[in-house]
Amino acid sequence: MISDICVLCPYGLDAGLLTKAVALANGAPVRAFVPKVEADTAATFGATYVHALTNVPRDENSLVTWLKEKISQYGCRIVLAPASIQLRNLMPMLAWELQSGLTADCTDLTEKDGSILQTRPAFGNSLVATIKTLSAVQMATVRPGTFPALPCPCDNAQVTEEIIAAPDGRITVIATETGMEAAPLNHARVIIAGGAGIGSREGFEKLEAIAKKLGGAVAASRNAVDAGFAPYRYQVGMTGVTVAPKLYIAVGISGAVQHLAGMSGSEKIIAINTDPKAPIFDYADYGIVADWETVSNKLLEELS
Amino acid sequence: MKILVCMKAVPSTGQVQVDGQFRLQRDGAKLQWNIADEAALEAALTLKSAEDTVTVLTMGPAKLEDPLRELLARGADRAILVSDPAFAGADTVATAGTIAKAAEFLGDFDLILCGRRAIDGETGQTPAMVAAALGIPCISNAESVQLQNGAVFVARRLESGTVLLSVPCPVCVSMCEYTYTLRLPGIMGMRRAKSKTVELLDSAALGLSPQSCGLKGSLTKVISMDSKFPGLRNGPKETDLNAGTDALLAMLQEVVK
Repeated sequence: MISDICVLCPYGLDAGLLTKAVALANGAPVRAFVPKVEADTAATFGATYVHALTNVPRDENSLVTWLKEKISQYGCRIVLAPASIQLRNLMPMLAWELQSGLTADCTDLTEKDGSILQTRPAFGNSLVATIKTLSAVQMATVRPGTFPALPCPCDNAQVTEEIIAAPDGRITVIATETGMEAAPLNHARVIIAGGAGIGSREGFEKLEAIAKKLGGAVAASRNAVDAGFAPYRYQVGMTGVTVAPKLYIAVGISGAVQHLAGMSGSEKIIAINTDPKAPIFDYADYGIVADWETVSNKLLEELS
Repeated sequence: MKILVCMKAVPSTGQVQVDGQFRLQRDGAKLQWNIADEAALEAALTLKSAEDTVTVLTMGPAKLEDPLRELLARGADRAILVSDPAFAGADTVATAGTIAKAAEFLGDFDLILCGRRAIDGETGQTPAMVAAALGIPCISNAESVQLQNGAVFVARRLESGTVLLSVPCPVCVSMCEYTYTLRLPGIMGMRRAKSKTVELLDSAALGLSPQSCGLKGSLTKVISMDSKFPGLRNGPKETDLNAGTDALLAMLQEVVK
């Protein structure tokens, strides 16, 4: 039996994580901490209590003390948060304050005898660890896009408005640059990702042309970024962003675990590679063993 | 200004071994400094003026003494090896507790720089936990760091873009790995390093009981380890170009509409 679960999404609801928390709770209360504008949405995904936050400080250091008090006040024994950059900084601070074990960037959560077993790829290679927390409060950050978001019929959430007071005066945000050239990768429905096999910047321009026709986004593997074919903000994988689009097309990508970790939650995966033994094919719903450029040219032709 | 740089030695190959308790075997493995931590050290050396000191600290096996000495040759003023068999198997909470104790033992630091995450465990949790243990803020994922009038100016990379912020010292900042490339040791540096010793801190020196560090002081436990990444789909493989492209177009139409 699981006790109260707390889902911390102060910078934006992760509906997939909330869905998972509701399933894990199996009837026990789930508290969602979300921006006020997303309070109703959190209710539709099955939160028992919605804490509608206003005045959320832009720097997460300011939230630690406030959240610690809330978690203690409500006696939450399980605290989950999406593994975004800010929450991967906030959760360790909170874990230290609560003296709780914390597992980073989990790719699965299961319940066993009141404990949450946390799955995560480790050691950057082919190892996947299952981790258990020994402290009274169990904490984990979960890779965004890992779980599908399913609306819940049980729509009787109790909404409480919370105004976060006393921000951390130490940190001053001077400027914010959101000038990403294309739509953020993690919002694209279709992603066409290139690997080292693309061979050049010009090759990536071809992928851009296809993505433009599809209204999708271009991504890259670490090898392609390291080779200078694509900018870092395109990088999908352990040291880049994690994505879970409707359709992920991996082009000239061999399928290193580090890359798989960033896209294996995609609804449908298609792999295009000349090497029939490339590991990416094992993780794809459909594979085309062919030269990427020939396929791309044909695709561009058909799409025009 | 006193700057502390926390470094981690990670296996330099993709293949690693774990023992019966799922602890990473560092004894036999060839180790290298984590690249993001090297970036943190270079950031520190770039910031350092004549009256500032840069201390490098690592927690790990005794064999890291020579690699630490090399960091002295590269420009660090002081090198600390936090090492004790009792520290083995530490999770992030136990690691952070030990490093924070060492930082307190060494005196008040104005700035603590770390890599944003290590390439082996990839948790990225230790910097923020060390900061919390010391009661200072932590800014993660920094792309650049500058000093002005006792405040640190950080360009921080978030998913949505870059945020520029300022925070007065003391503060902990964790650096992205692609930001600064660590300088090579010079002749002067090598000469200087010869006259210096790597200082050792063990559990007794830090006043840590065996229960509060290493595997025993950890709040998480690895209960099993699998060698295969989950999510096998094993879809069909098409070798005919036309058939493949047609199938791909059909799937695209379904999604794009």
